[in-house]
Amino acid sequence: MKFDVIVVGGGPAGLVASYRLAQWGFKTLVLERGRKPGSKNLFGGRIYAHALDAIVPEYRKEGRFIERWVRKERLSFMTDRGLTTLEFENVEREENSFTAFLTSFVEWLAGKAEAAGATLVTEITVDELVRDDKGKFIGVRAGNDVVYGDVIIDAEGVNRLLLERAGIVPKLEPRFVALGIKEVIKLDKRTIEERFNLDEDEGLAWAIAGYPSRYLPGGGFIYTNRETVTLGVVIYLDQWRSIDMPVHEAVERFKLHPSILRLVKGGTLIEYGAHMTPVAGINMAPPRLYYDGLLIAGDAAGFLLHAGVIIRGVDFAVMSGALAAEAVKRAGGDYSAGSLSVYHKLLSDSFVLKELEAFREADRTLHDPRLFNDYVKFVDSFLRRYFTVDGTPRRIYGTMKEAMQQSGLSLWKILKDTVVMFRRL
Amino acid sequence: MSAVDRYLSIEERLNANAWDIDVYKPHIRIVDPEKCRRCEKKPCTFMCPSRCYVQQGDEVILSTEACVECGTCRVVCTHGAIEWDYPRNGMGVWFRFG
Repeated sequence: MKFDVIVVGGGPAGLVASYRLAQWGFKTLVLERGRKPGSKNLFGGRIYAHALDAIVPEYRKEGRFIERWVRKERLSFMTDRGLTTLEFENVEREENSFTAFLTSFVEWLAGKAEAAGATLVTEITVDELVRDDKGKFIGVRAGNDVVYGDVIIDAEGVNRLLLERAGIVPKLEPRFVALGIKEVIKLDKRTIEERFNLDEDEGLAWAIAGYPSRYLPGGGFIYTNRETVTLGVVIYLDQWRSIDMPVHEAVERFKLHPSILRLVKGGTLIEYGAHMTPVAGINMAPPRLYYDGLLIAGDAAGFLLHAGVIIRGVDFAVMSGALAAEAVKRAGGDYSAGSLSVYHKLLSDSFVLKELEAFREADRTLHDPRLFNDYVKFVDSFLRRYFTVDGTPRRIYGTMKEAMQQSGLSLWKILKDTVVMFRRL
Repeated sequence: MSAVDRYLSIEERLNANAWDIDVYKPHIRIVDPEKCRRCEKKPCTFMCPSRCYVQQGDEVILSTEACVECGTCRVVCTHGAIEWDYPRNGMGVWFRFG
């Protein structure tokens, strides 16, 4: 059997690509290893709407996967002894990002792609990208079966074993990726709204540095859905030498932190999952994003932006999938690398490569353990001293200086780190 | 399903999940147990979110049943002792709330 396009991976990138291609009349095959589309997908919990508005605007009407529109953003420093939080509440009722289960979003996309005419086959694990004797990619092999296509879109996800086997990328390095662990906790709707101080359709997105990731690069996260709270920890894999407990313990400790437990108590755990996430952005992209007969999209290409507090994956996956489809259309039947290079141009003109380029240096700051240890402890120690009234005069600078000494910081170090951070983030 | 009010062991938490386990052909294999024996830090034993790797004496015992397929073990194994493949067709973890 022969197809115009074979898409490897029925996740956000692969399904958007196949949806568009099928709409344009390309005979498109999507191969997904999971039992259902979405069954191998896992993320923190939030989707930024802008890319969906551009590519699949009908989601706002059809999208039952929208859990809550995020109108409350929290950023915290957490220690064993306390929690310091900055909260931004948007009272303008804007709809810029929403919480969701990635599984549900992907299932919806799969429905769209199939309705448009794409052939979606699940429970197929692709073992290899097949090339002809000139090196052009001409199909995929799953077990003993080979399927041929004029062009292949690799959207296999962060582990990208197929790209590695094809010799396009080396084995993933620990500094390129982080591990995200997530617990999904069921609570009733009203309890969530009361405890997190939310209106009916409103959601909260919360990033927490320090204690959740054992004061190492990474952090904790909490998102509120309609009737569930998702809570988890992200740990950069190059930190494995420094971690002081197993990662599955770290996430449970985070849940049991007094500031967190009171928000989720009475709930029941309905899923425990984990997934790797790219953290090096453009620095882990394959040498090229297009080859003879092949395009690379989504996490497999490193298309995920870690900009400090803001982490965006799905909008990058959706846009890169859409642009891969666009590139196939523009290639006009000539799927040589030269012709497919239009993909790179399309990505460069879009937010995908523009933003990833702008944050090229971000991962260097986000790998700095000081940020997640010294600073978190400094803030706790400063505020703790400042708010403790015991008859000792606590003027701001003197109190701060004491706290700095205790956490190994100085004004000079803080100034230097701030300058570097402003340059990179 | 477990109430979250107390400490839940990793086994209790994993019980909440859905799986199709491939008992015939595990998707992860320790290629050379000797490498694990000599590995000082054994990062797989504390970086695996499902506790698939357990240290017994100098050895590392792997059981893949509870694997959530993140791929972390392969990346943190500095000795290249782990062979990791995507599970076969449809097998493995089935996220419902991913």
